[in-house]
Amino acid sequence: MLPVFLAVLGALFLLAPILVVVPMSFSTAISFAFPPPGYWLGYYAKYFTSEEWLEPTLNSFAIALGAMAFTMLLVVPAAFGYVRYRFRGKTLVNLLIMAPLIVPHVVSALAYYGFLGRAKLTGTLLGVMVAHGMLAVPVAFLVISATLKGFDQNLERAAMSSGAGPFRTFVHVTLPVLRPGMLVGALFAFLSSFNEAVVSIFIGGRGAVTLPKKMYESIRLESDPVIAVVSTLLVSAVVLGVLISTFLRRRSTHAA
Amino acid sequence: MAGELNAAAVRPESLVGAARRNATPWLLLGPACLALVLLFVVPIGYVLLLSVTDPRLSLAHYERIFTVPVYTRVMVNTFVTSLIVTALCLVIGYPVAYVMARRAGWVSTLLLTIVAMSFWTGFLVRTYAWLVILGSKGPVAGAYGALGLGKAPQLLFSTFGSTLGMTHILLPYMILALYAAMRKIDANHLKAAASLGARPAAAFREVFLPLSLPGVVNGSLLVFVTCLGFFVTPVLLGTPRDMMISQLINQQIEELLAFGFASAVAVVLLIATCGVLAIYNHYAGLDRLWG
Repeated sequence: MLPVFLAVLGALFLLAPILVVVPMSFSTAISFAFPPPGYWLGYYAKYFTSEEWLEPTLNSFAIALGAMAFTMLLVVPAAFGYVRYRFRGKTLVNLLIMAPLIVPHVVSALAYYGFLGRAKLTGTLLGVMVAHGMLAVPVAFLVISATLKGFDQNLERAAMSSGAGPFRTFVHVTLPVLRPGMLVGALFAFLSSFNEAVVSIFIGGRGAVTLPKKMYESIRLESDPVIAVVSTLLVSAVVLGVLISTFLRRRSTHAA
Repeated sequence: MAGELNAAAVRPESLVGAARRNATPWLLLGPACLALVLLFVVPIGYVLLLSVTDPRLSLAHYERIFTVPVYTRVMVNTFVTSLIVTALCLVIGYPVAYVMARRAGWVSTLLLTIVAMSFWTGFLVRTYAWLVILGSKGPVAGAYGALGLGKAPQLLFSTFGSTLGMTHILLPYMILALYAAMRKIDANHLKAAASLGARPAAAFREVFLPLSLPGVVNGSLLVFVTCLGFFVTPVLLGTPRDMMISQLINQQIEELLAFGFASAVAVVLLIATCGVLAIYNHYAGLDRLWG
């Protein structure tokens, strides 16, 4: 019974602090007082009407979508090349692809600060998009190459021997089988950018403020209570996402 | 030489085929590799360069990092804090992963759901939550008052606050690494131990614990390395007195515009991280960390 007790304590330690943000978002307090002295929806109204918060939200979505597209464009062919072929220098290529995961984010952030600064791309959506796109490469690559490794190439051979050309085989056999893995890879790339804070803080400037950067600055400089609203919305999205994925996984294991 | 030429003349298509076989992976990998070199390796290289050339060519920045007490303290503090956070994550995370791996059904699903939720909740949301909890108007301070213990100690903007926050944020990584290793442990091993007369505690100590060690090493490494470069949480929850490496980098460029020195500090952090990973790679192979 002791392990279960300790596990419940550990789970509470993980969960309870996150849940604190929910009542905070309905609080009337101007500063971070808990429990809240009273409840209202005023800060929700403020979030949904103030340019100051909506712009970073839109920026975050735009940057994450752009970074995701950039990452997928690079990673999908790379994963095919890496998994299906033997070639010289494979270890080095693997190290190169994993490099953004190995290098601490703060080092990458400093590097982009100097590099993109020279190219006059700091403080632009494009600059943050490129940086986030590179940082998401390892995550997407791990997911997609794992899916590819699990792919039974006999399916392709069967299609080809039944008379389908390479293109038709790819579109009608390979792609549909790999689609779930690709979607997960794309989702991870999106979230890696959406949640990324350090690089955004360093290179976002005034022109490309993302949600994490805005939250960071809001805590550091002004203690704006709207941050509780943003946090609650983000936590709700995560809860919804995790519940859906748990449900889907259970259904697929039951079916199998 | 002549034989090779003859063979190629006899079967030209095989030579073309071989050439294409060699070119295809590079066509597929080319864009990614090119992008990574130009848009990742070159910027990092620029940091390396700046660390010895800005403002002039010298190793003076590195000398300062390792001789000026303020900076050596930052290095030592980062290292010690990362060790403490790793140990805390291990102690809190091990039972959670153990129950997730050993129990079937809803207990395991519930725990996994909670871990996944906290894993995907952004660093800033969780840091903000701790700001509320540890703040002077927060529940901890309130409990002190309600119990008549007087004024609560300063929790926020302290070593304690920042350590607690980082532990909370990195705990899911530790649990998931432990869980991945523990799930592979065959339950029959424990049954065999029990049938040979081992009590549950002994079976755990002699069988389960050693088999879970790869997960312990993986999780500890992940947490330790991430903690070395932690930025947001120590800035928001800690004090400048126990600055971490990444805070020093930020301070140098934000307040002092000292790019050369900031770059040198970043290089030290990079080398420390790569050093730890290289030791792991030597004994276990990095692929296992990501697999």
